[in-house]
Amino acid sequence: MPSTRKTLQRGIPLLAITVTAALAFSGCSSDSSAVPGAAPSSSASTDALASVYDNAVVADAAALLPDSTMAKIKARGKLVVAEALDAPLLSQQNPSSPDDVEGFDADLAKLLAIYILGEPNVEIIPPASETREALLQNGTVDVVFNTYTITTQRDEQVDFAGPYLQSGLAVAVKSDNTDIQGIDDLGGKKVIVGANTPAVTAVPEKQPTAEIVSFGTDPEAVQALTQGRGDAYVQDFTLLASDAASNSAIKVVGQPFTTESYGIGLKDGDAAFKSFINDWLTKIEANGDWAKVWDATLGSAVESSTPTPPAIGSVPGS
Amino acid sequence: MNIFADSAGPLLEALGTTVMMAVIAGVAAIVLGTVVTAARISPIPVLRGLAFAYVQFFVNVPLLVLLILAVFALPDAGLLLPLTPTAIIVLALYEAAYVAEAIRSGVNTVGTGQIEASRALGFTLVQSLRLVVVPQALRAAVQPIGNVMIALTMNTALAAAVGVVELTSEANKLNLVEAQPILIFTVAGLIYMALALVIGLAAGRIEKRVAIKR
Repeated sequence: MPSTRKTLQRGIPLLAITVTAALAFSGCSSDSSAVPGAAPSSSASTDALASVYDNAVVADAAALLPDSTMAKIKARGKLVVAEALDAPLLSQQNPSSPDDVEGFDADLAKLLAIYILGEPNVEIIPPASETREALLQNGTVDVVFNTYTITTQRDEQVDFAGPYLQSGLAVAVKSDNTDIQGIDDLGGKKVIVGANTPAVTAVPEKQPTAEIVSFGTDPEAVQALTQGRGDAYVQDFTLLASDAASNSAIKVVGQPFTTESYGIGLKDGDAAFKSFINDWLTKIEANGDWAKVWDATLGSAVESSTPTPPAIGSVPGS
Repeated sequence: MNIFADSAGPLLEALGTTVMMAVIAGVAAIVLGTVVTAARISPIPVLRGLAFAYVQFFVNVPLLVLLILAVFALPDAGLLLPLTPTAIIVLALYEAAYVAEAIRSGVNTVGTGQIEASRALGFTLVQSLRLVVVPQALRAAVQPIGNVMIALTMNTALAAAVGVVELTSEANKLNLVEAQPILIFTVAGLIYMALALVIGLAAGRIEKRVAIKR
């Protein structure tokens, strides 16, 4: 019966697509932060920062040393940055206008572009965080702005300007959980972590008996926590705070239990570029731009006053 | 090569998970794929239609989509399985569709005359499948099935995306500390290559032994 066959052949892929789509939607509808990468609203930061952009510092022509990395960037007319597209409040693509990437890292990257070029001309290469070092070493990107924790091992492969932000790992649980109050209660528990975050190594150090489950992205990890794939989710405090602010099913418990110092990743051995960027950091910290960016992004989700930026060069490896 | 010596334990354990996933999902995919093919060539229209729908569904939806649906959507539907078994089940279901297609190509090598003869001898459907068609089809499809098994082994790496700690995920973890992606992923790639070579060679050996000379 060739005719039945033909009909089937046409019908089945369509059915498959419909079923998949239906499954995908049912998965999403139950939770605002569904997989993959749904977005809490965060488009207010652009307006708040308009005046910062208008008055941003621009480097003296003399600072762009001949043959330096910054001179090459200036000649090229754009700054190539490795930054995430799915990290709320840090570096996230605006769902309603995908060309806009906003957040603490993203806005600082734009300010750095203004400092070098006079305009916020940034080309974004989304890094899988496992390839950040390779992107820098082979010259694909100029800088990495990716909540890139400064460590001495990483410093052997790349250079770090900064630190430009200090935060720490904290613990989130489901809102109805009352037995976990912080990292000390995680012994023997199932702990969800982001696949390429410091939590992967920090949690076993603090709680060797904890069982680690890792997921690729923050929205996946939040989904896994709300579905009960783990008892707790350990992630950077700022990220958890923004997750909890947009999702009432989870809450942050206790205080951060580590200190992470984030740096701007640069190609190894480019001392001139590193001191150029450190100069820029010093300037935006002194003129208040750093604080304004913080307030418009991370500060909107955290109930504490604007922090003091960490001292530049204060961490081993920076 | 210090960094590999220091983390040999977890790496071997992760390699063990990769091999275990490949073996269990591989055996399950071959069994299930054989059943699907049998249904596909049976004279019963409903069975044929179901088998056809099965193959089309799994061949046309990417494995990563299936894994993410199984891990994140099924719990919302009230079904929460541990991660590694979930990944193994999805892998087996997915690769079974490819195995079924490989075996179906083997079925085409079985002479129509033989099937007609078995029917003339009064074999039931199950008998003629079990005694005449499937054994010959499997023997003719050894190499294609071997290729599917290699693909399956490579595809276990996708389980890293949904939290299973296998070779790729362990390599990620190691790189997070050591910050040497090119070295670490080259080594991980070589391990996968070695696994693929073993499967390929084994398939070649088996084929030599069972091939039907025509």
